[in-house]
Amino acid sequence: MQQSYDFPADTAVLEKIGKLAIDAGSNAGFNDIEIGDIQLAIDEVCTNTIIHGLKNDQNRTFQMVIQWNPGEIEIQIHESGEFFDPLDLDDPNLENIMEENSAGGLGLYFLRELMDEADFRIGRDGVKTWRIVKRKV
Amino acid sequence: MKIEENILNDVSSIKLEGRFDANTSDAVEKFIREKIEKGCSQFVLNMENVSFISSAGLRVVIIIARELRNEHQGDLHIAVLQPSVKRVFEISGLNNILKIFDDEQTATEAFSK
Repeated sequence: MQQSYDFPADTAVLEKIGKLAIDAGSNAGFNDIEIGDIQLAIDEVCTNTIIHGLKNDQNRTFQMVIQWNPGEIEIQIHESGEFFDPLDLDDPNLENIMEENSAGGLGLYFLRELMDEADFRIGRDGVKTWRIVKRKV
Repeated sequence: MKIEENILNDVSSIKLEGRFDANTSDAVEKFIREKIEKGCSQFVLNMENVSFISSAGLRVVIIIARELRNEHQGDLHIAVLQPSVKRVFEISGLNNILKIFDDEQTATEAFSK
């Protein structure tokens, strides 16, 4: 099963995206904890795309493609905004996070912790794509 | 995001309802900062009705708690986490850094101990 959506670069769409994540995760047979993980991972990628890639410009859009089969879900997020490589971000220093000056990097940390695959690429056409995958254990 | 405040014994209890994400985190941060500017330094963040939290919400919790501890001799106590939200605190390790309570009353009383 595959569904494709176009959204404006507006954080107000995150709630709707969260509901789509819950529906797709449920249809793929994941349990509540796994669905929560999927919802969080999708939210982090979309937030990153809206804020850093598309600069909150509501006139610009990004595409989200969700594919699922029983026990597996794959989400791709495509956008062609500003150059931004999220993999340049440092991992958060969780042990000393209360002493650090920033609290960034947690979103990427969640992707790595919660999903089985999380990769980012920039195509020759400049389109940036996040691909995240989760499988049932 | 619905934000309500109740003040008891100089402790500001802030009850959130809805999603604590990149779309709502600025409003929560602004609300608490206004209270800090008015002199409040002890906060309880009641998240009983928060159904979802992302790193954007956690970021606000971290920077507010850090500022209260380091600059105001205060703190931000967390009260009542739904299981899915509790899991995000645990994955991030914040459950070991922040003071998290099962109910708002205990979180409030902990400031006077």
